[in-house]
Amino acid sequence: MSSTVQPGKEGVASFRTKLFTAMMIIVATLTALGLYFAQRKIMADAGRDLQQNFQAELSSLHDVEELRQAALAEHCRLLAAKPRIHAALEDNALDLLYPSAKDELRDLMEGEEPSQTGPSLHAKFYRFLDGAGAVLSPPNPRDVGPLGPEAEMQLILKKLPETQQIGYIRENADDADEIVDEVVAVPIFSTETGDVISALVVGFEPFELIGKGAGAGRKSGIWLSGYLYLPALSKPAQAALGSEIAKAITNSTSEQNNFTVTLNGAPELLFYKRLNPSSLFPPAYEICVYPLADSMAQLHRLRWQIGGASVLLLLGGLVASRFVAARLAVPVEKLALDSEENREQRKRVETALASTSEKLKRSTRYSADASHQLKSPVTLLRAGLEGLLAREDFKREIYEELSALLHQTHRLNGVIDDLLLLSRMDAGHLQIESEPVNLSQIIEEWLDDLGALPDSPDVKIEKELPVDLYIAGEKRYTSLIVQNLLENARRYNRPDGLIRVTAHRERTEIVLAIGNTGRSIPCDEHEHIFERFHHRSTASDVSSHGLGLNLARNLARLHSGDLRLVRSEKDWTEFEARFPIAAQAPDGAGQTT
Amino acid sequence: MRRLAGFNTVVALLPISALAQATVEGRVELPKSHLAPVMAKRYEIVTRGGVLSTQPPLAVVYLAGSFPKASSPSTKQIAQKDLTFIPSLLPVQLGTKIEFPNLDDTYHSIFSYSPAKRFDLGRYRPEERPIPSEVFDKPGLVTLRCDIHEHMRGLILVLNTPYFVVTDANGRFRLGGLPAGQYALKAWIDSKTTLEKPVHLKSGEVSQVDFP
Repeated sequence: MSSTVQPGKEGVASFRTKLFTAMMIIVATLTALGLYFAQRKIMADAGRDLQQNFQAELSSLHDVEELRQAALAEHCRLLAAKPRIHAALEDNALDLLYPSAKDELRDLMEGEEPSQTGPSLHAKFYRFLDGAGAVLSPPNPRDVGPLGPEAEMQLILKKLPETQQIGYIRENADDADEIVDEVVAVPIFSTETGDVISALVVGFEPFELIGKGAGAGRKSGIWLSGYLYLPALSKPAQAALGSEIAKAITNSTSEQNNFTVTLNGAPELLFYKRLNPSSLFPPAYEICVYPLADSMAQLHRLRWQIGGASVLLLLGGLVASRFVAARLAVPVEKLALDSEENREQRKRVETALASTSEKLKRSTRYSADASHQLKSPVTLLRAGLEGLLAREDFKREIYEELSALLHQTHRLNGVIDDLLLLSRMDAGHLQIESEPVNLSQIIEEWLDDLGALPDSPDVKIEKELPVDLYIAGEKRYTSLIVQNLLENARRYNRPDGLIRVTAHRERTEIVLAIGNTGRSIPCDEHEHIFERFHHRSTASDVSSHGLGLNLARNLARLHSGDLRLVRSEKDWTEFEARFPIAAQAPDGAGQTT
Repeated sequence: MRRLAGFNTVVALLPISALAQATVEGRVELPKSHLAPVMAKRYEIVTRGGVLSTQPPLAVVYLAGSFPKASSPSTKQIAQKDLTFIPSLLPVQLGTKIEFPNLDDTYHSIFSYSPAKRFDLGRYRPEERPIPSEVFDKPGLVTLRCDIHEHMRGLILVLNTPYFVVTDANGRFRLGGLPAGQYALKAWIDSKTTLEKPVHLKSGEVSQVDFP
């Protein structure tokens, strides 16, 4: 049995696995997509935020520069308008330039100290460029801000600028106290010719980017001609990062960009932007390095969240898949099982049925055939015996013998009739043609007959019958049942015994009880008395062919009723037959309720 | 020095014996002025393309050569009035002392970075006495500026000759009392332009020289 069911279960299991796998794939895909997009979004967000921060800082820097440059331009305009400067430049008295400018630029050099809050115009140094763009050496460097020769070399321009130029120079390049200065070259126009006759180059300390909201880890510096000035980093780190930036700058046409770098093992986002676009001075870039730790932490957190959500989703998916699979699988499983089982069962049943029906056919045919084959000789025998009885030339003993034989043929005939009936029932050929049957009347008739029987012992009959109890049945078979029961009641009775017949309605049924005195049926036989050819062990002397109760019960059941032994003890045996009440009493018949 | 002093005396006497002297007259073709002629004859120093000149144009005609220095340096004046130098163009002989009286009721601060003469008189009031002055002992063009009034310009043409004259507005000049001989007559038109013509001067004669 179990081996036949196995394929069905396996099928369901594989269906469940497939369903779960599909769900897993979906959840895994969703998770992967979620992680991918989350990562992209976070990195983009971080990049955008930092970019904005960088741009904001740059724009503030730019504002400061513009302010400074505007101030310087005004300064230089005024300066150029100063008769002494003009005189020095136009009257070929360059040696008098610095002394003349000293007074004019005094406020530039001795301006307010750089404050923490805002930009100042406090210059570190200034130099004039001659007509060829070379630096005019100051007679007294202390007045104009000392500058090393290497630094001074960086001020040289190929030609005098027409507009302001921003540049950056390194001071003390090889020392530990390396600094970068921002220089602004301002052209000086001759008030007489309108030509650029000189340029004033003013050096400032570059403004530090004042970062807000970018976190404490932000580092800013300046990249200049391949060298990175980023004081927050060690010299080797600066050099390494500087070459990295140089690579990025040479590979990119854009003047600003960003890329991720690794500093001290931690990822950081580096922004660079040219500080002096289209300047005559060498290109310089503002460098800002932002730690990505926050973003990384956020990413990490989000990864965990998405991972957790995915696990939950997966678990949910598992449960859901099991549930769905179960929901889907139950009918499928049932179908599979049913189909498997059905096939097997059907096959078995079919074969069994085939053989049974074959057997049945054979047996019923056999019974019928046998009954018919038996009836003819019995009829012949009876006719012969009756013929013999009709003669008057035999001795009295012979008549008695013949009479006994004739009785036996009657009995034999009864057995054959019963067998025929039973075989018809077994073959399913017997059907009740249900109609209202007056049970009371049948009982009365049979009780009348009972007294007329030749070998009837002397028994008393009690009856408690309502008149006209109608049941649904076929009269001849109902009659057979009643006959069988009454005959038994008489047959197994004792002398001076009692037969009590009662009948009453019980809801939709009519209950007929027939009890008789006499030896009771032992308990162990109770369940066998309805079997065919059963003989009561206690009444072997009683003439019985052992088919009556079996036939009666089968007929009662054909009537949709039943027959059972109610009790058999202490000189009282009682059977009870139930019949369905007739739906409708025949016209004119009085109904007793 | 004595000889030189004696020579100087001779030269100083030259104008007196005018008959024996030569004279040059003519006209200098002055640059076209795009301003209407000024009746008040007020001249300014203007710069056009880095070139200093007077406006309306004037020229200085002088006889170049080696002449003895003036025995006693003369004193001339360039006043500052109405925030201009008057005269705006002053040719002087080498060694001339020039006083710069302030005729305005404001401060002036006259200085020059010109190679021919560097000086700085500093700020001074009109009542400043003695009148600030400088001696110009190097030939060349000296640009006068005022440190307070940046537009003020004045030109001093320090010449190594006693014979020079400023043309009139039409460029006409007459330069008399010249020694006879072969000289170069020069016409300073602006800071970048000095024309030159050879002249053969004869006593008692008037030579006609036009520039160009």
